[in-house]
Amino acid sequence: MKDPYLPEKAVITKIRRETVDTKTYAVRMLDERKRAEFSVEPGQFIMVSLFGIGEAPFSLSSSPNSDGAFNTTIRAVGNITSALDRFEEGAVIGVRGPYGHGWPIESARGRDVLIVAGGIGLPPLRPVIGKIAQERGDYGRLEILYGARTPDQMIFPYEYEDWRKIKDTRLELTVDSVPAGTVWEHKVGVVTTLFDEMKTYPEGSLVMTCGPEIMMRFVVRGLLAKGFAPNQIYVSLERRMKCGIAQCGHCQIGPKYVCKDGPVFRLSDIQGLPDLAL
Amino acid sequence: MPAKLLMKKDLKSWISNLIGSYAVYGPRPKGNDFAFERIHSSDQIVLDYSKTILPLKKFLLPPYEPVLRFEDGKAQRLPEARAAPKMLLFGVHPCDASSFAVLDKVFISDHRDDVYAKRRENIITVVIACREPGENCFCSSMGTGPSMERGYDVLLTDLEDRYLVESGSPEGDVLIEEVPGAAPPKPIDFERKKRSIEDALKKFKRKVVTDGLPELFRKNLDNPMWNQIRDIDLACGQCVLVCPTCYCFDISDTSEIASGNGERLREWDCCVLLEFAEVAMGGNFRKDRGARIRQFMGHNLSYCIEQFGRFKCVGCGRCIQACPVHIDITEVASKVRGG
Repeated sequence: MKDPYLPEKAVITKIRRETVDTKTYAVRMLDERKRAEFSVEPGQFIMVSLFGIGEAPFSLSSSPNSDGAFNTTIRAVGNITSALDRFEEGAVIGVRGPYGHGWPIESARGRDVLIVAGGIGLPPLRPVIGKIAQERGDYGRLEILYGARTPDQMIFPYEYEDWRKIKDTRLELTVDSVPAGTVWEHKVGVVTTLFDEMKTYPEGSLVMTCGPEIMMRFVVRGLLAKGFAPNQIYVSLERRMKCGIAQCGHCQIGPKYVCKDGPVFRLSDIQGLPDLAL
Repeated sequence: MPAKLLMKKDLKSWISNLIGSYAVYGPRPKGNDFAFERIHSSDQIVLDYSKTILPLKKFLLPPYEPVLRFEDGKAQRLPEARAAPKMLLFGVHPCDASSFAVLDKVFISDHRDDVYAKRRENIITVVIACREPGENCFCSSMGTGPSMERGYDVLLTDLEDRYLVESGSPEGDVLIEEVPGAAPPKPIDFERKKRSIEDALKKFKRKVVTDGLPELFRKNLDNPMWNQIRDIDLACGQCVLVCPTCYCFDISDTSEIASGNGERLREWDCCVLLEFAEVAMGGNFRKDRGARIRQFMGHNLSYCIEQFGRFKCVGCGRCIQACPVHIDITEVASKVRGG
């Protein structure tokens, strides 16, 4: 049996800068057998190892292709991510996983899907957008509401035109503030500002949201006020994780392990738990 | 299961025999307390001890150990960590023996940690039922003492001049064969065992009412007692370190500057410490000391039921004993009942 702590080697094939502190890393498993069997559901996460520096959990910003290649979009904010920021194409990293439960792709079939993302919360939802685009007929309308601090903090701006072209899809953008001299044709304000003109209605729809927990708190409040039920809202939570396999204990929220029971939770399953900003 | 009687005068010769065949560990005096340590001679073991400073988890999850070694770009689970010697733990209290069931759930049931599993397989336990519960003990409330019905290899019950020695596993059967000069027990000896348990039960000073406790705890997440506890709590983490079922750990890497080779280390961590729930960019979902101690208590008395199907707390009372400001898990349990 495979040791749960032992990472597989993978190589960074391409690095694309998204914002001043965020990059998208194209990664490919080194072992040929692993390439074929490496499958990750949208919203699941992997543990990325920088040998001798440390290991941390990251979501994937693209589902792996049949060749074991995938993208992960990472913001340099801590020790490990800042070290990764100095890595170049061709560098070898370690990958364990995937772990946890992802977005409710299956129960979303036949329903309208509302995606609400803030800042670095968009990457884990990108595979959902890809999946819906790919199997367009299986889903209802798609509405994406995305907010970032400033226009230059927006991730994947080069894809927005393509997303808008997906049939029955609406994409709305907002930023907290626009620095002087920056051109911005969209909304200004927190992401819930976009709720006023929201086209998704509670009936027959499902919501997936990811962003800072404090943002999701207001998203959830706004949605509940609009008549959405807690069992149709899904949130992806961030907690400290050291193992990814429900052993190190760090990511516990009451009885739940974010690594095992999440990171994506149905709101109705976690309401009332302690130490939750929602 | 086979059982025997062992006259007390023969105990030492049995232990000496065991030392000849196994690496025996048992309770030994350490300062004013006791510690589970290697026994080289039968004189070193003290069976009428209260409790050891650290629980038995130190044998399964050492406080600090490397789990991976990186060398020339290759990662490897450390072979040293895999080597698990056969260990005989002699004189384990039922509360401590019960802690293994919780740890097994975490490290074997879901994602099997081979190193843990091998160590676990190689541990043999000779449990001794408690006759004199300590002032902080409440195992009788948690169903983990003063004696136990399963979860041991051998169970000793003190019957004044002799021990009733019962086997609880095939390993135990083998051990029991070696018991010197032993007569087979009579029904009266089992009667005496029963009475001995009843006598011990009368001596408990602490009690936790467990009926509905997990649900009641969840309804008391905002109880003002958490603020009172926060005001006295030092967040020193001793309760967690001495808890037999607290398993949380941190992982960190070290690397040698010249070679770039290094190790990944696993070391005990504490949910009551500030950094435990820290996330990126200075976020922390348990910044409040009261919330952190609530996590420790809640995991032990409430959340564990959903996770393990049983209480995590085994009622050993070490956290009460270790706490410099007298935070008491049995008081918390009573306060969630409005006590």
